[in-house]
Amino acid sequence: MKFKPANVTPPELDMTPMIDVVFQLITFFMLINKFEQAEADERVVLPKDQLAAPPAVHRQHSFLLNFGYLRDQKGVIIDPKPYFFFGDERAELASVRARLRQESQYYKTTGTDLAEITVEIRADADIPTGLVQELIQMCQEEGIAFQRFALKATQKATEY
Amino acid sequence: MKFRNRSNLTKIQLDMTPMIDVVFQLIIFFMCTLKVSEPEGDFEISMPLGAPSASAVSDAELPPFKVRLQAGADGRLASLTFNGTDLGSGESAFAELNAEVLRAVNALGAIGKEQQEKQEVEIDPDFNLNYRYIINAIGACSGRMRNGVTVRYISKIKFAPIRQQSP
Repeated sequence: MKFKPANVTPPELDMTPMIDVVFQLITFFMLINKFEQAEADERVVLPKDQLAAPPAVHRQHSFLLNFGYLRDQKGVIIDPKPYFFFGDERAELASVRARLRQESQYYKTTGTDLAEITVEIRADADIPTGLVQELIQMCQEEGIAFQRFALKATQKATEY
Repeated sequence: MKFRNRSNLTKIQLDMTPMIDVVFQLIIFFMCTLKVSEPEGDFEISMPLGAPSASAVSDAELPPFKVRLQAGADGRLASLTFNGTDLGSGESAFAELNAEVLRAVNALGAIGKEQQEKQEVEIDPDFNLNYRYIINAIGACSGRMRNGVTVRYISKIKFAPIRQQSP
């Protein structure tokens, strides 16, 4: 009769393939994660257009305004009044003037030329255009004086 | 001289547990912060100071191309015109607009490439028109995609003065 020896060494697990896969997963998630769009509010349903391409050169100075409706989980508008979303806070068009003034003052204090700053407007597809025009006009008022604007949209694949 | 006995050297065992813990935490973090969203782009519009007035200073020698968008009571597009030519109101109206802008830009080529670059488009919408149509109009005036490549027509786009909200 054969007996196994008493000093059996535990089997060694080779961790290398698992670590390889795990690091590949980390790399994958890091690459596809868009931290730039962190300010984008999900309540705003952007209009779509085939030519809406990200700017070729990254803008050094810009700030984002999310302008949309309160929607339920299905995306249905629950309040007909449009709001600006600043994280958890929301504001109406009339009260956003103070924030714009503040923003403008900040750039002036830091010595940044207002002509270099782009106001990126993320407006909902269902917003009346006149309100977006009023917003642009407000941004150009004396004491605020922003000059560059970019209208955000999502890319649509279909061509004319 | 002393020599080490190489035969009974024990293998150094690295404890991988903390590293695997951290790495899995990183994976969970990236998975949780992942936002599946459509790619976003934008259109730059040129609105120099004082532009809301019709007599805004511009370096374009010719008057801007005028795109007029009229809205129905529900905010939908009721009529689209380019320099006074009616292009309809459906999805095809924007394809028509795109073709009209191309024609106009090509005609400008006879004057010179400089004028083509200076040429502006003025978008004149009704107050209550849904914003999606503005983006469609800006897109149609900006250019078109051909086999995945963007062909630019006009880059200077501005808004006309605001029209008052219809009662």
